[in-house]
Amino acid sequence: MGVTVLQQFPMTENRTGPQTIEFLTKRIVALGAVQTGQFLVDCETYMSVPQLGVQKTVHVLHNSEQPASVFAVLESGSKVVPLIADGLFDLLMLKMTSIYTSKKQTKIESKGPRFEIGDFCVKLGSVTMSQNFKGVLVEVEYRPCVVPGSAWDLMREFLQGFIGSVVPNQAPQYLQNRMNDIYQPMDTIQQYLEHFGQYRKTTGVI
Amino acid sequence: MQREEKQLDSALEAIIMRVNDLKTAIAAMIFKLEHEYETLNWPNFLDNFALISGHLTSLSKILGNDKAPIMRNLAVLPLLLSPEKDEDLMRLTECRISTFAHDLVPDYLRTKPEPQAEQKMMQLEVKANNLSYDTAHDCNKQVTQYNKVLSHVWDIANKAREEWEGEAGSRATQAQTSSAADTHVLVAAVGVGKGLKSDSVQMVQSGVSPVPSGMMVGRSGGQPQAAGQGPLGNAQMGQMGKTPSAIKTNIKAASQIHPYGR
Amino acid sequence: MFTVRTRIKIPPRAINAHRRPIIYIKHRTMAAPISTAMDSLSAALKSNIIPNQEYLLQGSVLDSAVEVLLHRLRGLCDNVDSGPETFHDHEMCFSIRRGPPPEQPLLLRVRRALDYQDMPWQLRYIGQPELGDKSRPTIVRSSIDIATSNSVVEFLTELGCRLDFEYIVRGYMFRKGRMKVTVSKIFKMGQGKLPESVEPISQSYLVELSVLAPSGQDAIAEDMRIFAEQLRPLVQLEKIDYKRLVH
Repeated sequence: MGVTVLQQFPMTENRTGPQTIEFLTKRIVALGAVQTGQFLVDCETYMSVPQLGVQKTVHVLHNSEQPASVFAVLESGSKVVPLIADGLFDLLMLKMTSIYTSKKQTKIESKGPRFEIGDFCVKLGSVTMSQNFKGVLVEVEYRPCVVPGSAWDLMREFLQGFIGSVVPNQAPQYLQNRMNDIYQPMDTIQQYLEHFGQYRKTTGVI
Repeated sequence: MQREEKQLDSALEAIIMRVNDLKTAIAAMIFKLEHEYETLNWPNFLDNFALISGHLTSLSKILGNDKAPIMRNLAVLPLLLSPEKDEDLMRLTECRISTFAHDLVPDYLRTKPEPQAEQKMMQLEVKANNLSYDTAHDCNKQVTQYNKVLSHVWDIANKAREEWEGEAGSRATQAQTSSAADTHVLVAAVGVGKGLKSDSVQMVQSGVSPVPSGMMVGRSGGQPQAAGQGPLGNAQMGQMGKTPSAIKTNIKAASQIHPYGR
Repeated sequence: MFTVRTRIKIPPRAINAHRRPIIYIKHRTMAAPISTAMDSLSAALKSNIIPNQEYLLQGSVLDSAVEVLLHRLRGLCDNVDSGPETFHDHEMCFSIRRGPPPEQPLLLRVRRALDYQDMPWQLRYIGQPELGDKSRPTIVRSSIDIATSNSVVEFLTELGCRLDFEYIVRGYMFRKGRMKVTVSKIFKMGQGKLPESVEPISQSYLVELSVLAPSGQDAIAEDMRIFAEQLRPLVQLEKIDYKRLVH
């Protein structure tokens, strides 16, 4: 487990989603990466029923990198409470359906090939929301380091070399707020959640 | 007359059958003894005995049956004695008897003990009847002594039993190792929070009195039942119904705290 | 090519006594399409390997006799060599309901080990206990046992759950095959947070015999009845009717 950065890859008119993934795959393989299976991050969102008072939202996420864990993020007013649980948490959410209902149409996931290249792990995810293609999300993990502040420069260089100038020089806002903290799997989840939120707001090609 | 003969015939047939059974059982046992003496075990051997005794019992039952003709009233009369070999007899007796001659017939047809044996038995009986008083006295002495020993052992055994039972009894009385009331208190506590809810904690500390119950009812009754109240208000409403029971537990809980001297 | 992914999960010693076998570990090949966690869960549900039924018998033993009971359990149970495992937990019971009664509340319990602070916390859903008829030897209730991070109390509170009551539980755990025996003292929370300020709610220890198993494995209940029989008359392990306790 190391520091992870997410980067949206801009879509162009002349390429479909699968074509974009293929394009990026060719590029990363040319750099010497080896494909090591597939990955999947999914997110389902539950809303509290009106009887409960103030609207609360629970996002439940799974990451194939941590297959035995379930990540939940609760948004209640301005408060955000993260929770890591084991797989049976999904069963509990099923028990709560009378109080928290799932918004199926916002079910969103990022899925695609996973590569290893030296100390980096790269995942090319195509994001789909209820079967509709939304965009391409590239995840890069630098595995030997767990402090974002120490890893960022190296990761930026790698990302820029791989994806190009769309990668900003500044670390993403989420990481900037915790440059000197120990990076946790939950941080990856929070970043996915941010990006999923953005995708949910937009429609079609960016 | 004919009827009686028929009866006799059938009775004889039955008896012969039984005797044959007995014979085969004995033969089987002899066979076993001769051929399996190395592997034969005691229970097995006893089984054979049981079989034989079973056959004997059924034989004597047939003989003793009311309807059976009284055999002793019948006589067997040898009509022809011959020193010659008799093939028919050989076949009938499985080659055991080859001739029906004068020297063998008395033995085979004998219904009483041999005179010598009879004489010996008579002698023994006479001797038994004439036992002198002294020897009888000696016997009695032994019997009383033996009785004394036995009663002594009996006493010892009885005493041990009394002690044993007394101990078990006292253990039964002190055997109170669990209490159903405590089980209910504990299960109610962990199961539904009886005696653990924060309201009741305060009540215990403020001294148990019926007043808080009034307060509580008043409070929860006083809460407006607004829709936007949220879960807190709702849950308290839910508690209202069980308030009295909560108080009862508190009294119990409080009295239980004291023995601990805390 | 197989890759077994790293698991951030939660050390195997689940909170105190409540261990549970790991349910599924994914092995993946490059060719195999990746399945969602929900797919795996529903597959696990379908093949009925999730232990979501708790078979339970309860009883108590007086403080004066607890040593005798522990001695007997040491003899009867599996962990003879290592001796009984002790635990010291804090349990908080929450409820959440959709609306005012008669809407049934959903009950959730959080348990954390006070003696092993860095252990995962345990979140537990417990359904209505079913007493069944006389022929059924134990209570059966549905139960979902989840290991979680320590943010679970805040999570539940923000979710809209209300803390109904809490207590401290301290005692011994034994194992006998799939059966779990706990002998525990229940303490009321003191007003201060100091451990000395807790007070026992009874002069007895709570004794519980339980098995967490996938549904339909009723044979285990019979094993429990036989085991409970062996503890008599020291402890009477019984099906306790919760409904009677409330009223």
